[in-house]
Amino acid sequence: MKNPYIPIPIKIDKVRFETDDRLIKTFDLVFPNKEDEKEFNYYPGQFAELSILGKGESPIGIASSPTEAGFLRFTVMKVGVVTKALHNLEKSALMGVRGPFGNWYPIDEMKGKNVVIIGGGFAFTTLRSLLIYMLDDKNRKAYGDITCIYGARNPGLLCYRDELEQWKKRKDVSLYQCIDWTFGSKGPIEEAAEDGWMPINMKEPGKTIIKQDVKKFTAFVPQLVSAIKPESKNAYAIVCGPPIMIKFTIPVLTELGFPPDRIYNSLEMRMKCGIGKCGRCNIGRKYVCKDGPVFSLKELESLPKEY
Amino acid sequence: MKDSLKRMKQIKKSKLPELIEQLKKDYDLIGPCKDGDLVLYRKLEKDELPFLGFKNSIKSPKELFFPQTEEILRFRGFIDRRIPEAIEEKVKKRIVIGMRPCDIQSLLIIDKLFINDDYVDSFYDKLRENTLIIGFGCSNPASSCFCTSLGGGPFIAKGSDVFMVDIGQGYLLEHVSEKGKKLIEQLPEASEDMIAMKQDIEKKASKSISSIDVEAIPEKLKTLFENPIWEEISERCLGCGVCTYLCPTCHCFDIQDEVVDNKGRRVRNWDSCMFPIFTLHGSGHQPREFRYQRMRQRIMHKFNYYRKNFGVIACSGCGRCVAQCPVNIDVREVIGSIKNIK
Repeated sequence: MKNPYIPIPIKIDKVRFETDDRLIKTFDLVFPNKEDEKEFNYYPGQFAELSILGKGESPIGIASSPTEAGFLRFTVMKVGVVTKALHNLEKSALMGVRGPFGNWYPIDEMKGKNVVIIGGGFAFTTLRSLLIYMLDDKNRKAYGDITCIYGARNPGLLCYRDELEQWKKRKDVSLYQCIDWTFGSKGPIEEAAEDGWMPINMKEPGKTIIKQDVKKFTAFVPQLVSAIKPESKNAYAIVCGPPIMIKFTIPVLTELGFPPDRIYNSLEMRMKCGIGKCGRCNIGRKYVCKDGPVFSLKELESLPKEY
Repeated sequence: MKDSLKRMKQIKKSKLPELIEQLKKDYDLIGPCKDGDLVLYRKLEKDELPFLGFKNSIKSPKELFFPQTEEILRFRGFIDRRIPEAIEEKVKKRIVIGMRPCDIQSLLIIDKLFINDDYVDSFYDKLRENTLIIGFGCSNPASSCFCTSLGGGPFIAKGSDVFMVDIGQGYLLEHVSEKGKKLIEQLPEASEDMIAMKQDIEKKASKSISSIDVEAIPEKLKTLFENPIWEEISERCLGCGVCTYLCPTCHCFDIQDEVVDNKGRRVRNWDSCMFPIFTLHGSGHQPREFRYQRMRQRIMHKFNYYRKNFGVIACSGCGRCVAQCPVNIDVREVIGSIKNIK
């Protein structure tokens, strides 16, 4: 019987800085043992515990899609002991992985429906997994329209910029990007924060006129969602981002007609075991590591407000 | 009655050392030992007898199955090329003698978390599998005990392999499992008189135990998350964590890596939901900033969440938290307060 606490060896194959502030790196990891790779079957939305023996473990969302064979991609912000050590490792370093853990985005339930992906900052990481999964030739026809709204504080903090460029060119996904307003002494200034990023109507985002080929905006993510007005009929919304972004995006989606059982979040918590035994990551009776991290708004509304 | 006669064996007190030495031949025998003022469960050496003259130990015997510090793996070498060396120590066959029904019931409670269809905790599982339990009945329950309110009782044998009761001149031993049967096969059968004595002692003991009404509590707690009572209940709490340390159903743990030079190990240690760092995010975000929130988590987890997830309340009424809380927070009173909320 396999011991669920023993990490599986995995090697760093590629490392790069993902954001201009150099606080976030993307790691492509490969299993030295092909058997382990075969057994690591995961779905978009799941996470793994990245292990550095001597430092500890960190639960990180899997950024690669299961349709991308041969490697696991993780985008990691330097936050504490483990992630700092991880940032100091280089190509060919040996580390460990436990997983895949948790549940995943409702990829089966969303078949035949339109999907609106809304991401903020580097929380976009598991949304990349979802997007690549759905856009894969094998899967694309199973889903309806795919809209992606992705924002960060400034252009240098957007993740996967090379892929964003590619997705912009595709006809089977509508990608909108945004960056934060510049702040003056009296609050946000209603003009393009950078060249090429068209400001929306700051006071009444819903009244913004979206021109045909304009895809880059100056706006907070919830405001851009108001401006784009994604159709809620037959659609699911998947929202990942900092708490404040989620807090203001949910009401916008609700007003657009998305019901709580078609709005999904991915949560994070301090974790250790990753398998629902150490007791620390619970919200009410649910463990975020085992019963999440993906929760529908409907499910969250039935749980205590403790996150 | 005939059947219970067959299951009941007896042994004179003067003959107990013989049985103990017999058991030590094939098993590591672990039992309560007097250590100054404390009673601690540890391996009985040659000629050592279990100390059975106490109400219940301050520290629960849960550490025999869920050690306070347990090695997960070892490693060596430079940080960028370490691989785990799994710890393949064989778990010796053991018998734990002298465990009280509440502590045995606690194992049955945390079994559901550690061993289930999601994942099996291999460390806990191995220890459980390789251990036989000779339970011991409580003829003189403490004033802090309340096991009968949580489906237990001073002479409840469930979960043990053999159950032992002190009837004065000797002990009655009942085999509860097939494995337990073998341990006491050769002992003489108990007489009807002896069994009647046991039932008498049992009745008196059960009557003396304080009782609380937990029937409606799990459902009621569902509605009380935002109720101001939590601040009231936790007003005196120091956050010392003694309740979680001594509690036989507390199962929370931390995982830490320890390194000296280039060698080290990964261990799991007991942890407590009563400490703030328990839920502190790397970003600095703290879902349970205030003590009342952590107290609420403890009570909700034991009396509502665990019951919802596994069908049982995560409390066996052993009363250790009641007896040892330095500010006398009594979980029986907490349950009473909750019951009285309109």
